[in-house]
Amino acid sequence: MRVLNILNRIAVVAVFMFAINACTTDDLDPSLEQNKRIDGGITSVDNVYAIIKGGYSRMTSSGYYGRDYIINNEVRSDNCFSNGNSGRFTTQASFKYNENTGFFWDDAYRVIANANLVIEQDIPSLEGDEAYGYHLQGQAYAMRALAHFDLVKQFGQQHVGGTLGVPYVMKYKDEENLTPARNTVTECMNFIFDDLDQAYNLMSAGGSPEFLSKMAAKAIESNVAVYFEEWDRAIAAAQMVIDSDDYSVIPAADYVKHWGSDGSANSIFELAFSSTDNAGIDGLAYIYRTTGGGSYGDVQVLDVVEDIYDAGDVRAGILGWEGDMLRNIGKFPNNQGYDNVIVVRYEEVIMNLAEALVETGGDAATALNMIINERGIAAYVNPVTKDDILLERQREFIFEGHRYEDLVRMGKDIEKISIQQNFSETIPYGDPIMAWAIPKAETDANSNMVQNDGY
Amino acid sequence: MRRLALIASLILFVGLNAMFAQTTTITGAVTDSESGEPMPGVSVVVRGTTIGTVTNVDGNYSLSVPNDATNLLFSFVGMTTQDIVIAGNTTINVALVSEAIGVDEVVVMGYTTARKSEVTGSSVQVGGETLANMPVASVDQALQGRVAGVSISQASGTPGSAQNVRIRGRSSITAGNEPLYVINGVPMVSGDASATTSGSSMSVLASLNSSDIETITVLKDASATAAYGARGANGVIVITTKSGKSGKANINFSANYGFSNDAIDGPSVLKGVEAEELYYDAIYNTYQGNYGVPTDRSLVQDWYLTEGYNVFGDTYKNWVDDGRKEGNWEDVITNDNAPMQEYNLSASGGSDKMTYYTSVGYFNQEATVIGSEFERISGSLNLSAELTDKLTFSTNNSASHSYQDGLLETSAYFSSPRAVKYFMPSVDQPYLEDGSINIQNTSLPNPLWIAQEDIDDSKLTRIISTNSLRWATPVKGLSLSTKLSIDYQVYNYKRYRNPIRGDGDGTNGYGWQANRNRANYVFQNVANYVMQLDGGHDFDFNLIQEYQKNRLYYLEADADNFSDVGLTNLNSAGNPTTANSWFTDWSVASYLGMVHYSYQGKYIVDATYRREGSSRFAPDNRWGNFWALGGAWNLHHESFMSNLSSVVSSLKLRGSYGVTGNAEIALNQFEPLLNFDSDYAGEGASYPGVFGNEDLSWETSYSLDLGIDFGLFNNKVTGALGYYRRETKDMLLGVPLSLTTGHTDQDINVGRMENKGFEMELNVDIIRSSDFNLSIGGNLGTNDNEVLELAKDLNGEEINITSTIDRVETGHPVYGWYMPTWAGVDPDTGDETWFIDPTVDETTTTNFNEAEQVWQGGSAIPKITAGMNLHVDFKGVFLDATGYYAGGHKVYEGWHRYTNGTDLFSVSWYQGIDVLMDRWQQPGDEARFGKIEYTARPWQRHSKFLYDGDYFRLRDMTIGYDFNSRVTDAIGIGALRVYVRGTNLYTWVKDENLKYDPEVDTDGETGMATPPIKSFIFGVNLKF
Repeated sequence: MRVLNILNRIAVVAVFMFAINACTTDDLDPSLEQNKRIDGGITSVDNVYAIIKGGYSRMTSSGYYGRDYIINNEVRSDNCFSNGNSGRFTTQASFKYNENTGFFWDDAYRVIANANLVIEQDIPSLEGDEAYGYHLQGQAYAMRALAHFDLVKQFGQQHVGGTLGVPYVMKYKDEENLTPARNTVTECMNFIFDDLDQAYNLMSAGGSPEFLSKMAAKAIESNVAVYFEEWDRAIAAAQMVIDSDDYSVIPAADYVKHWGSDGSANSIFELAFSSTDNAGIDGLAYIYRTTGGGSYGDVQVLDVVEDIYDAGDVRAGILGWEGDMLRNIGKFPNNQGYDNVIVVRYEEVIMNLAEALVETGGDAATALNMIINERGIAAYVNPVTKDDILLERQREFIFEGHRYEDLVRMGKDIEKISIQQNFSETIPYGDPIMAWAIPKAETDANSNMVQNDGY
Repeated sequence: MRRLALIASLILFVGLNAMFAQTTTITGAVTDSESGEPMPGVSVVVRGTTIGTVTNVDGNYSLSVPNDATNLLFSFVGMTTQDIVIAGNTTINVALVSEAIGVDEVVVMGYTTARKSEVTGSSVQVGGETLANMPVASVDQALQGRVAGVSISQASGTPGSAQNVRIRGRSSITAGNEPLYVINGVPMVSGDASATTSGSSMSVLASLNSSDIETITVLKDASATAAYGARGANGVIVITTKSGKSGKANINFSANYGFSNDAIDGPSVLKGVEAEELYYDAIYNTYQGNYGVPTDRSLVQDWYLTEGYNVFGDTYKNWVDDGRKEGNWEDVITNDNAPMQEYNLSASGGSDKMTYYTSVGYFNQEATVIGSEFERISGSLNLSAELTDKLTFSTNNSASHSYQDGLLETSAYFSSPRAVKYFMPSVDQPYLEDGSINIQNTSLPNPLWIAQEDIDDSKLTRIISTNSLRWATPVKGLSLSTKLSIDYQVYNYKRYRNPIRGDGDGTNGYGWQANRNRANYVFQNVANYVMQLDGGHDFDFNLIQEYQKNRLYYLEADADNFSDVGLTNLNSAGNPTTANSWFTDWSVASYLGMVHYSYQGKYIVDATYRREGSSRFAPDNRWGNFWALGGAWNLHHESFMSNLSSVVSSLKLRGSYGVTGNAEIALNQFEPLLNFDSDYAGEGASYPGVFGNEDLSWETSYSLDLGIDFGLFNNKVTGALGYYRRETKDMLLGVPLSLTTGHTDQDINVGRMENKGFEMELNVDIIRSSDFNLSIGGNLGTNDNEVLELAKDLNGEEINITSTIDRVETGHPVYGWYMPTWAGVDPDTGDETWFIDPTVDETTTTNFNEAEQVWQGGSAIPKITAGMNLHVDFKGVFLDATGYYAGGHKVYEGWHRYTNGTDLFSVSWYQGIDVLMDRWQQPGDEARFGKIEYTARPWQRHSKFLYDGDYFRLRDMTIGYDFNSRVTDAIGIGALRVYVRGTNLYTWVKDENLKYDPEVDTDGETGMATPPIKSFIFGVNLKF
């Protein structure tokens, strides 16, 4: 009885104490001050604008256009090599990469995730300007196409004897297909063209070159068409850009100078970098130059590159010497990485047109000379050859990350032409190393993924 | 809710003040049964309460005892605790018997305390003497080798940096593995306070002064850790600070001064002449017969120095022309005999109604590498006051300010002095001809310049105030208490890079400053009821309610283009580049019930139940239930053991089983989230940052613990033998996602993992007498880890986590070593070779990409850890030694591509380790390294660089002298001790190829961090 009594009294006190103090599930709600939920957090066109900007921002990461995508196309060629100053890019430059050598696979699919989030939004149900909402969705389609195109070029099997491309992801967080298999190269190409058409149709005209635009979609389409040898499509797309009169070839006098400023007249789409938003030590300038010993400066220019320019060619002004090292001095000249990175420019569209005309028997010289007339060298006369195009592309776009892809798509070997190159002998066209390995992290997590041969 | 809890506390503080009960004062004297001399400092406590006092210098005590008190406990270190029935007496004199008959110390378990004989689980307390005079920056360093099953690894020897503590292995794969720290009964935030991941870490624990600590208890099994519910799975470390004892003031002063050096020198690097020799090797092996390179090896040097430098560069040519001056960068970066000092002054004492402990301390230690030191100023005040005979107020307060002059570490940053030792070629010169620092003409920034100009400072100010009020209710045996604890941490980080040379030369200087404020509140309400029923049934009930909230605010800015050299604050920067701030919080709410039952001290049962809710999970999955059952049987109390009592002084069988949890994942992972910390073209931007999983809930561990504790021959031999098995289920696993989702992983409750092993402790008092004692002891713990189940993808294929050197896969230890197996250097060609797949056949290849990754056996976690200790004292002279062994694991040499490369990395661009001299030169050579070539190899991580990690370390050795009372009386002081202490004086490493310090970070890779130190410390201890 006494025990009971005591228990009774304990119970009373305990109930009092705990009742006044009881914590409920709601008391445990965490603060969410830096984030919003994806479901329910996107309510306006402005929110969509923020997400498309997030996509561009992801394109500027150093794994993608911020550095690696461009550099890996330069060091695996007859333009540049890695001098190992900081140990960077020696593996890539010697063609010894494998499934553990990171490349932009993850970066590109992050961009695609942003694009898909934008594409999935039901614009009429959002606050804000509907037409602008569709314009943003058009950008997202172009962004998705571009990222997949870049992936196919690097990971697809089109040059190593296979048919597999990359998974073409068209939905963010697709619960039905979280571990997608690879689409074929042809499927990827068709999806890319579809997306670019959508992009063109949805967007309104005009816009800053720091964002994708109607004409940027067409310019990219001309790139894709040339890559897949869809010559008529390439001519049509390029012609639309040229006919828009929105752009002009950089004049000879400005060729070197214009790299120092953003938004030049030839820029169709460029990624924004600034003094507060740049890749810093992981950026292009930091790897291209040592600037007196203070930066990485691994990516040096092969001495023989001096010889690719004829006398008077203004484009040779990009080159310069740091002591006994030949360097890219002129492109991305700001040593702190504040310069915008051009993804596609007017000259490339013209070059696409010229190449397609070479293939289809058109007047390639006139097209090509639109550029050549502003470069301080003699004009071309027909017949222009494919090798002329390849050489002019090298001269024009050197250090901009096109050379390796140009060589491979034209079926060339990667030739050992200098002791400075990191690889010891010529890499023959079709070598399995020409398709980058699917990352180990992907094959570990996705059993539908098929690895490329040779890894 | 918080307001309510505060109100509840105030009610208990103020409102209940009015109710008191009657007390009686009991007095008496305590003597030593052997000598008959009075014993000061004996603790006298009313059984079942915290009401107590301590005998004064004359061995007398006086204590106000509630009328319902039944027994008094008299305890003293080294003496058997006496349990005396009061039975109405107001004078109780006691003669204490030395521990020859049996020690039954009180073990602090966090929420509760228990006598050692009644502990049902596996908890080990380290206290008093062991921690005394241990000048360490961070108190967890004192635990190494003391407790079976506790493995401590030091990621960096930079003073103040965070340690990695693993109790019984690794319980989780991608969630946290660090134990929970509890200070004075309150769960605390621990780990790294630092804002930078590229610089030195700074342990939150380093803010505590180890000499203020009374005991540290390591709770290993579920019966003890289930009380900490969701945070108990990785074990719990309970720290209790010192409190006063009533009686004359006890004033203690200690001073330590010492010197430290690296415990292990580490690998030696190539001298310039060695690198030059290897450079000619490279030219010859790659280009003999081409580009004019001679076909005769002996002619290569002459050819290079006369004409070859035009082809291959003139670095060595210039160096030879300058007279082959060797730059010794190891010397340059080493701070020889780095001084350390520590001073502590404390006073404790009190009246019978109030006790106090107060202290001030100063600690300063320079790192063994240039440009780094740690400093701490601390103070504490602990008070306990019997406001009335029913109401006791206690407060524990400590404040400290720590300053760490850190350095770049954790990776091979070119401006890090540790990296310079292994990366700067010996042909580069530290000084110019005129003796000034060579600032510009070194391939990496000169560490002398960096140490002088650059700043990496961490400052941590921490205030902990824990206040409790305990009310012994009128109900006999029932007490209510409430506790309120605030832990406030202010952290500042300052980084500056000079514009002349180093990481700031590209931007004309660079500055970054960060500020982090953390506030951690804990409210606790405890109802304790002690009940003794006739026939020896003792019950101890605890009902506890707890709420904890953590708020973290962060602010940072960085900027470049400084207007003047030497002005280092952002004020002087022309171009602000980052402004960032964020706020996060988390909270935990719990209800806890504990029952302790003892039948005549023979049979003991513990039951614990905790219901805990965490803000880290979705509302529907927030609450989890954790519980444990423990039992013990003290066989020596049984009558059938009585005829063995001369041999068996104590014998206890114990066992426990229970469920604990782990929620140590990033915040808000359950929600699919957009992040907004991005920008593009000058405007803010957002992106999907968290994949989300609304089903996310607790990771749970099911632990079984069985053991025997024994004492033989009057407890001259004591020990314990135990077995544990812990299975982690529904692991909080960061399951890798297909990268095509735009995410890398998603936290999912999936998978199982097992840790099991044996633990042993043994202590033998070989000689025990009044002026000569000799004892030895040791402990040993084993750990066997296996992954039992992992996530599967839609095709039912297991999703593994693989790096280039390790892998998580079922049937193997977590992060077991997994890499291509090296097959040696081909004696004919000098090529490095690997087995294509050694699990199939012995075929080798020279193409690294063809070599399959295979299991190498073991992981980075030691399978065996052991501690050994020795104590000798003779007429005041004493010697203590502690050793630590860890083994059965492997260590990977992390930077071998650069430092062990048989290519330009080692011989031209950077620096190599001198083991490279053992390289292949001509057919027939048997060498560890292949031919040096004029190329740059990619990362090729393989088993050549995987070493046995076994090592033994003489962690600690102290020789000292306690002056006897004739001397101390003559100079008018209480006691005087002088000693010299050596730490890490000797290290044995099993694998001769492991040249780095064997104590590495938990990932098992050697790094470029400051190694552990070897030190000599001279100390003096004065008591007044």
